[in-house]
Amino acid sequence: MIQITGLTKVHRGGGPPVLLDLTFEARPGAVTALLGPEGAGKSTALRLMLELERGRGVTLFAGRTYRRLRRPEREVGVLLSGPVDAPGAADLAGHPGRKARGHLRMLAAAVGVPARRADELLERTRLAAVAEQRLRAYSPGMHRRLALAAALLGEPGTLLLDAPTEGLSPRNVEWFHAFLRSFAADGGTVLVTTRTPQEASQLADRVVTLDRGRMAADESVTEFRRTRLSPEVAVRGPQMARLADLLAGQGAQVRRDGGTELAVSGVGRTEIGELAYRHGILLHELADRVVERPAPRADLRVVASGPGRPRTPEAAAAPVPEDARAATTEQAEQAERAERAERAERAGQVGQHDRTVAMPVARPRALAAAARDAEPAPTLALPVAPPPAGGSSALTAPVASAAPGPRRGARAVTRRAVEAAEAVEAVGGPGEAAGTAWPGRRGGGRREDETSPVVAVDRLFRDGLTGLARSAQAPAAASKAEAHERPGEAADGLLGDDTVRLGRVTRPQPDRADRPAPDRPVPHRSASPGAAPAGPVVPVTSDLRSE
Amino acid sequence: MRVLAYELRRVRGLRSTWLLLGLVVVCDAVVAGVLAGQVGDRTLGGAAAVRLLTAAVPLVPLPFAALGAGVLGALAYGHEVRHRGLAASQVSYPRRVRLLTAKLAVTGALAALLALVTLLIDAVTVHFALPAGVTVAAWSDPAALSARVAEALAQSGPGGLVDVLPPVAAPLALVAGQGAPAALLAFVLLVVVAGWTGVLTAALTRSATAGVLLLCALPPLLESAVALVLRQSGTPWPARAAELLPFPSGIEWAYGWVYGGDGRVAGGGVLSAAPALTDPALLAAAVAPVLVLLLVTLVVQARRRAL
Repeated sequence: MIQITGLTKVHRGGGPPVLLDLTFEARPGAVTALLGPEGAGKSTALRLMLELERGRGVTLFAGRTYRRLRRPEREVGVLLSGPVDAPGAADLAGHPGRKARGHLRMLAAAVGVPARRADELLERTRLAAVAEQRLRAYSPGMHRRLALAAALLGEPGTLLLDAPTEGLSPRNVEWFHAFLRSFAADGGTVLVTTRTPQEASQLADRVVTLDRGRMAADESVTEFRRTRLSPEVAVRGPQMARLADLLAGQGAQVRRDGGTELAVSGVGRTEIGELAYRHGILLHELADRVVERPAPRADLRVVASGPGRPRTPEAAAAPVPEDARAATTEQAEQAERAERAERAERAGQVGQHDRTVAMPVARPRALAAAARDAEPAPTLALPVAPPPAGGSSALTAPVASAAPGPRRGARAVTRRAVEAAEAVEAVGGPGEAAGTAWPGRRGGGRREDETSPVVAVDRLFRDGLTGLARSAQAPAAASKAEAHERPGEAADGLLGDDTVRLGRVTRPQPDRADRPAPDRPVPHRSASPGAAPAGPVVPVTSDLRSE
Repeated sequence: MRVLAYELRRVRGLRSTWLLLGLVVVCDAVVAGVLAGQVGDRTLGGAAAVRLLTAAVPLVPLPFAALGAGVLGALAYGHEVRHRGLAASQVSYPRRVRLLTAKLAVTGALAALLALVTLLIDAVTVHFALPAGVTVAAWSDPAALSARVAEALAQSGPGGLVDVLPPVAAPLALVAGQGAPAALLAFVLLVVVAGWTGVLTAALTRSATAGVLLLCALPPLLESAVALVLRQSGTPWPARAAELLPFPSGIEWAYGWVYGGDGRVAGGGVLSAAPALTDPALLAAAVAPVLVLLLVTLVVQARRRAL
């Protein structure tokens, strides 16, 4: 078990922090991957954990810092990718003039284990045959395996590996993966860094994504696969335009890759093949592949006091726990947000300007009333809106269309429909049919909703109601006014939503109850539990609590 | 104990160690042979004999053996920095100090061995290379010889060699009659000190190359400093040494002073060497730099995170 808390590193000369408040855990029996591009701070994080560099934050290996471990080699095996101050020797496990067996025996003496342990490890890392060769004859893969053997000399229960498979041949990579998986399966704790999402998804049970020193996401590998990797089918052939039309008709998403290639998602390979066969379309290639989606970007806005100004290290490094954590969670949401926006567009009629309807819900009663008086259009919009039945069918449509997509989409859209109905009720619209319709649907939503972030609901709620507003053909002027209002609010909303989500993760019940209504323009952090809006909003909060 | 075992394995497992040791011994022997061949005098004085045995060459800051020991020491540390085996095992300060101590111990022992071996080899070489007709002062008094040799070897290390290698031990006695054991002991000490200095300078600079360069730069610097100290303390320092400052008298400084610092004096009459070695000022002059370096290294290590 490695507990990493608040690792922060700022260079003395200033500049943005190399690492900012990295907090996560690596559990026994699992492989944890630290994923990030070059320069994201992975190696720095590892070196900080071992206290090889000066920095802030605490890392506990079974309750002790590395420096305080009685016999560190017996508890933590370390494989670093070469010392920073000697770049030439980066990939070497030891002195090039030494023989592998002698090298390991020497290290065994340092660790305090019998020399035959070195021979065992040479067998285990498949180096026994070349144990009498000098290290300068070793390939990078052999060097890396030898370094791993050295790290394993003390039979540690924890492994800390910095890019163990970087630059290795596929066979070596495979060997490393198998080894690390089995090490974790035996109950060991493994923490590796990697640059490629594919490797992280193959190797790890838990993936922590770093972006420019900030934690962008900390998720299980299944979630990681869903959010960062998506399967698609590559199709090549001479008649791609026609196939693209056919596939689009089937509800697949088709992207053109050059003149003769399509990237299709949403439809299986076999279906595409059959479709092509039935329509007599010639195919040259039909292959599954995995596409990587862009990594979530760390949101630097929260630490804007840091990077922007000329600052002292203090200012930049001072960990503001809540904000920083909010930032990381927030960032984890960004990919989803993008996805959601896309899906919202896809959902057809659902437009952009829900605010007219949503606002009254969010505001305290007096405000809402004032708003109703001041802006007749939104309140009128609902009564004029299509009859409840029509409304509810319009709301279910997105659900259906989103069904082929990932689960979260469907779930979110369901929730959106629920919330929309709720809002209809809260505003006092003619919600009889909607009201009867939605409890069942809410049940469905709840079933799926075990892990769904509240943020998603909030965001989609806005988008969802827009549909209503638009279908009611609300006056353009009103919607334009709302559009003006939007950016600032959106920013506040992001911050607030994530805070809310964070709260929900730690203390599920109370925070959910406290959760302010979605479109409240003030930052949610400032909302105290007692300040829950009264009046028309009450049903909303109580419903949420019941969830 | 573990670090000692580690360090021994480390030194043993490297080819460069053995190459370096061999190179030093061969160099020493060759230089000693050449110097012996150039001896023109009919009688070989004590100082000249010591110079032959230690293969001292003017203008080289340190004798070969000392230089070799220094390089070994510097490499011992430089390798640790450059090719460290266990990435993070030296994070805690006590462990680093322990490793440093082990390195000093192993390097010191190795340096002492190297000094003795070079002395032996050089003695053999000089014995064979001396031109015919040159008489060594020590030879003329065979009665005292065996006692002197035994004393010399007992003082400078393994006494059992007398029985094992009589032909080798005999040439060694060519300086025995001149109070040479003390000089040779000083030589051994110098080599050991050079080895430690190598380790410590490399520890300060975290680089074997820089460590060796610093080691070579130290004697000329120290020479002037020591001269200054001796002058201040009132100890008679030969005027000649001051004249020859800063550089060429390095060798004289190193073990010339055991004879009183003057070859002519040493050649003319037999001076007792014991007082020179036990002279606290001189002892301090030889050991102080290492102690200072050690202190600085320990302080610097406390500020570091790794070796």
